[in-house]
Amino acid sequence: MGSWLKFLVVSVFLFSLVSLPWVNASNETVAFSEATQAEAALTSAYDVVLEAEEAGANVSSLLNKLNIGSEYLAEAYVWYRLGDSQNANHFAALCYNLAEDVQSDAVALRDEATSSRMSESVVVMVGSAVGVILVVGTCFVGWRVFKRRYHKKVLGLRPEVV
Amino acid sequence: MNLNDYQTLFVVVTLGSALIVASPVLALVVSFKGGSEQFSEFWLLGPDHIADDYPFDVNAGEMYTVFVGLENHMGSSEYYKVYVKFCNETQSLLDSDEGVPSSLSPLHEYPFFVEDDGVWESSVSLCFNNVVIEDGILSVGEVVINEVSFPVDVYAVWDSESEGYFFQLFFELWRYDADSHSFTFADQSVGLWLNVNIYED
Repeated sequence: MGSWLKFLVVSVFLFSLVSLPWVNASNETVAFSEATQAEAALTSAYDVVLEAEEAGANVSSLLNKLNIGSEYLAEAYVWYRLGDSQNANHFAALCYNLAEDVQSDAVALRDEATSSRMSESVVVMVGSAVGVILVVGTCFVGWRVFKRRYHKKVLGLRPEVV
Repeated sequence: MNLNDYQTLFVVVTLGSALIVASPVLALVVSFKGGSEQFSEFWLLGPDHIADDYPFDVNAGEMYTVFVGLENHMGSSEYYKVYVKFCNETQSLLDSDEGVPSSLSPLHEYPFFVEDDGVWESSVSLCFNNVVIEDGILSVGEVVINEVSFPVDVYAVWDSESEGYFFQLFFELWRYDADSHSFTFADQSVGLWLNVNIYED
């Protein structure tokens, strides 16, 4: 019984010796992976914010949120480099969640700005088309009137009766 | 002026007016982007927030402050990263002429977003610890940036000509390229030459 107990204790000791560095390395790998995912989420969110900005939306508030996310990301990398996987994961998760929120807000803002720009464009195009027709029509009528008066007054001619 | 001249005048006036009326549509189609120069202004200021009194003779264990900042004139919001790097005189330094960044690993990084014509600035507190002099070689074992310790293993030999142990701490600017979806070196860096000492009371 005593030898079995000794064997068990030695086995557990050897197993922990072998597995602890592996667990530690695994934690570091997870922490790095989480930070990388958070960074990718931040970048994707920024891509959509950029699209929203190009569509004419005001993205100042979204950029402020992204800056908070970037501080979380920097913090996550600091903790990762210092070997603290728990804090690294915590800040990476904060960054990831914030980036996801920003991305969904940016998508809504982009779509709103795009549809707003679209309707503005339609108004501008229709307005311009009507304006051009009016200008050309007015000028044409003006020309006809001018031409008639020119014939009557300047040349003293009467229009021929057919 | 005869009637043909008046007719030409009417046609010109009509076309001109039509062009003016249609100009909002032309503005939708024709882009005027890129008319002005696009650049990022990157700077490093001393502890009094002016371009003076930069730390040079630094003592181990003492805290020094500088300010690193940027103004975005790229015409749109930008995503930047500033890498903080630390090296000695002989290690490979940034070759700013060829637009090649230093191959050194960064101690710390600042990722941040700046809107067009916006400004970003951060104070950077620095401290050098675990400084040892042995056989004319000074080694720095820890750099503290904004109260976070980063282990390093950088050493400098005594420079008898300039009389000091010289190191460089510099900040590299990288910019996110939305087309390639990656960060590229912006070919801009600012830095400090430091003569690290151990003064004993």
